[in-house]
Amino acid sequence: METRTDYIIQVKDLVKTYNHGAVVALNHCSLDVKKGQVIAIIGPSGSGKSTMLRSLNLLEEPTSGEIYFNDVELTSKKIDLNLHRQKMGMVFQHFNLFPHKTVLENITLAPVTLKIQTEEEAKGVALQLLDRVGLLDKADEYPNMLSGGQKQRIAIVRALAMEPEVMLFDEPTSALDPEMVGEVLDVMKELAQEGMTMIVVTHEMGFAREVADEIIFMADGEIVERGMAEDIFAHPKMQRTKNFIDKVL
Amino acid sequence: MFWEWWQSLFVDMTASSFFNFSFLPKYGEAVIQGVVYTLILSVVSVLMAVLPAFLLATMRLSKNNIIRSISGAYIAVFRSTPLLVQLMLIYYGVFSWIPVPNFLILGFIDASRFIPGVVALSLNSSAYVAEIFRAGILAVDHGQMEAARSLGLSQGQAMKLVILPQAIKNVLPALANEMITMIKESSVCMVLGMSEIMFTAQTIAGSTMISIGPYMIAAFIYFLITYPTSKVIENVERRMRRGDKN
Ligand SMILES: Nc1ncnc2c1ncn2[C@@H]1O[C@H](COP(=O)(O)OP(=O)(O)O)[C@@H](O)[C@H]1O
Ligand SMILES: [Mg+2]
Repeated sequence: METRTDYIIQVKDLVKTYNHGAVVALNHCSLDVKKGQVIAIIGPSGSGKSTMLRSLNLLEEPTSGEIYFNDVELTSKKIDLNLHRQKMGMVFQHFNLFPHKTVLENITLAPVTLKIQTEEEAKGVALQLLDRVGLLDKADEYPNMLSGGQKQRIAIVRALAMEPEVMLFDEPTSALDPEMVGEVLDVMKELAQEGMTMIVVTHEMGFAREVADEIIFMADGEIVERGMAEDIFAHPKMQRTKNFIDKVL
Repeated sequence: MFWEWWQSLFVDMTASSFFNFSFLPKYGEAVIQGVVYTLILSVVSVLMAVLPAFLLATMRLSKNNIIRSISGAYIAVFRSTPLLVQLMLIYYGVFSWIPVPNFLILGFIDASRFIPGVVALSLNSSAYVAEIFRAGILAVDHGQMEAARSLGLSQGQAMKLVILPQAIKNVLPALANEMITMIKESSVCMVLGMSEIMFTAQTIAGSTMISIGPYMIAAFIYFLITYPTSKVIENVERRMRRGDKN
């Protein structure tokens, strides 16, 4: 049974353990995201940020708990997960471009294979998006010819070509040389301004503060605190949050 | 005492008997047919191993315990018993129940032996090639599958379009090496009277009473085929690895 809510994503009591329960990566986490919201997830390394993000499109299979996308329970066995993943774009720390495909083929592979666009349409969409991120001239290059910043912008374009309803970012700038961080963040800012729903795991506190509507602080597999950027940074309620903020700012 | 015995060794067997190739003019054609036989036998066997090996590798990587262990058992059995034993069991065991047509391929390859031989060699080879494929698939970065799945591609689509094209590049050198191994290993087929290089050498030795020369030629031919080939593969592999670094 589906009941309509305002939320594009809802996570209910999510638990994820590894090694038969020896490692608890997520400890009873709940989360909801409204359409158009930009959420930044921050927290120390190993706190479960990636696991949380990767659970949203079920790259990690939850141990228990429920995940809803547009009020459809993704954790139910009855749905076609691939269909819903098409609407959830994901950008990885290490880009994960397909090295045996050109930039253009990287972008058109999924829409064409999944018969969402014809080859012609997909090419048009791809070139338009490439133009937007300033990489039109790289369409026929292979990924190994590109810089990290260029690779990541293309990875974003590849996800956008599927016309997703939400974009998930897992430390998209952590593997970049410092001088390339800006060009990727700029693309993400633009996306946010256009109203894209975004969940961004990041260590870029400046970006989180400036772009995110809300910040989630995670530690030890738990969502410790959630709030407006200003509140989290200036007046954190929890001691663990405060300690972390003091360290990174 | 010792000297008499020592000298007696050289009466019928001198060092030059290693290099007695006087049979070549008469048996040259037989030798060439033997080489062609060996090449066809080993190449066909490895090529026929590719499909079952792919299936075994896929099964080996399956999440299902039963499927995984079926494939694992097959691989273990074929890799842990001598090829010669497998050949005997398949030729005298399995093929005593299966009728094989009796005709000549290219005028000198006897199908009634060749077909069981190829089946045995490729069943054996598929165990080794399966491990090559498995390693090749596992060598593709995990993030590739995740990126493909996150775009909504199915497991099968991701495998076919993203993982395998990269894995194939990884496995080509190992596959070529398997071919080289098979060229040498296929010599066990002489026990079934398949007229490949070794059987030809044995036949010549028997009918000319020149006991070492034919085997020297056989050794020389094997070396001439496999050594340069393995050097070429090494070279290609090194260049591919350099290409990957960028
Ligand atoms: N595949 C895995 N197997 C075992 N433990 C894992 C695995 N993935 C993550 N973990 C553990 O789960 C915890 C959370 O990891 P992660 O979500 O990657 O943290 P973060 O992204 O915040 O750095 C860590 O303790 C990590 O070691
Ligand atoms: Mg992480």
